[in-house]
Amino acid sequence: MNKEGKYKVVLIEPSEIIATGIAAIINGNPKFCIAQTLNDPSYYNSNDCDVDIVIINPTVVDYNDRLDIRSWLGAGNTALVALTHSNYEESVMRQYDECIGIYDSTARIIQKLKNAIDENSKNPKSDLTELSSREKDILAAVAMGKTNKEIADEFNISIYTVISHRRNISQKLGINSIPGLTVYAIMNKLVDISDFS
Amino acid sequence: MNLNNTIYNKRMKMAELVASDISLLSILQRLNITLGFGEATVAEVCAQHNISTDLFLMICNIYSFRDYQPQIDTLTDDDIRNITTYLRASHKYYSTICFPALHNNIHKMVKELDDVSRRLIDKFYDDYDNEVNNHFQYEEEIVFPYIENLLNNRQSDNSEYNISLFEHNHGNVNEKLNDLSNIIIKYLNKDYTSQLRFEILSEIHLIGNDLLKHSNIENKLLVPLVEKIEQRNE
Repeated sequence: MNKEGKYKVVLIEPSEIIATGIAAIINGNPKFCIAQTLNDPSYYNSNDCDVDIVIINPTVVDYNDRLDIRSWLGAGNTALVALTHSNYEESVMRQYDECIGIYDSTARIIQKLKNAIDENSKNPKSDLTELSSREKDILAAVAMGKTNKEIADEFNISIYTVISHRRNISQKLGINSIPGLTVYAIMNKLVDISDFS
Repeated sequence: MNLNNTIYNKRMKMAELVASDISLLSILQRLNITLGFGEATVAEVCAQHNISTDLFLMICNIYSFRDYQPQIDTLTDDDIRNITTYLRASHKYYSTICFPALHNNIHKMVKELDDVSRRLIDKFYDDYDNEVNNHFQYEEEIVFPYIENLLNNRQSDNSEYNISLFEHNHGNVNEKLNDLSNIIIKYLNKDYTSQLRFEILSEIHLIGNDLLKHSNIENKLLVPLVEKIEQRNE
């Protein structure tokens, strides 16, 4: 946040027309201000830690890096919002806290930026390297031999969400099999070895 | 890309073939082909050892070129028998040479670990070892005899079986090897003899790679050939 209490936004969008338009909308709102507009993500300085939101057009990111946009950009715990002109795969969009479309109204864009700040503070998406605390809990349950259904019931989430957590966990650790995950969970004290006979 | 330039042929010298991809040595070992080829061609060496040149080249091509698809029309019933003989030899190679060496090194490695990690890695490896052995045993006791009966046109003891039931579970086998490799690279504590861990990782890499080719031989050669025989016998 800046000195006037406005959320600082960095906008990464290659189209000058669109960038100017979005910047005008955001600067016109008392809660947000554009700190920087970039047409290329390589100019983004991730050390500037008071940035609250990065709005980025996913097309500026190479296809292979889109699935790990947060660490690629070095965005740390900054809220990430996609600015899209077209549709993207679900696995790409999952990386973002919110998604703005170019046909969204001013009110809707501001609402989405607020959602992104909330979403990011409630459920921070970390880099693809560290497990979140929710992921650690789910990993412990997997290691204990619980099924997806049992885990979904215990955490009150859908089976789909459990599967998605498990996919993220395996991707981060590089461990896919249940016995392998169990070894990791015990070595890292997420579960106790005495729970196993 | 002109595939004919990259794929092996029977007129090339056996020594050149081996020099172009050293991992092919393990195939020679399993087929009991002895070294000292001199200038002999692939066809000549295969003839000396009574091995079908076509089949030998297909196996080598599967090993060296990931996208290679064998043309199985030229292969005979005897070639199918040779494939199962090769696969058995390959199992023997894994279970008498590769896995004992890996196990031995893992056993040395876990001695340096704390009690909990030692028990975990030991158990993980033992379970893995059992799983692989069960898989080999299943192929040797169920799948290969089924194929032999089929070729001899005899009624199988297990009349319910057909090749589509063949388990493609080499994938899981590789998954666990990969997990073990990542656990060693990323998560084991740092007070250790690093040379030993490097050796283990390199062994895991070689075995994993070989198992992958092994399953490609089953999926690209054996299964389609047996499906053809099943249709012929119907």
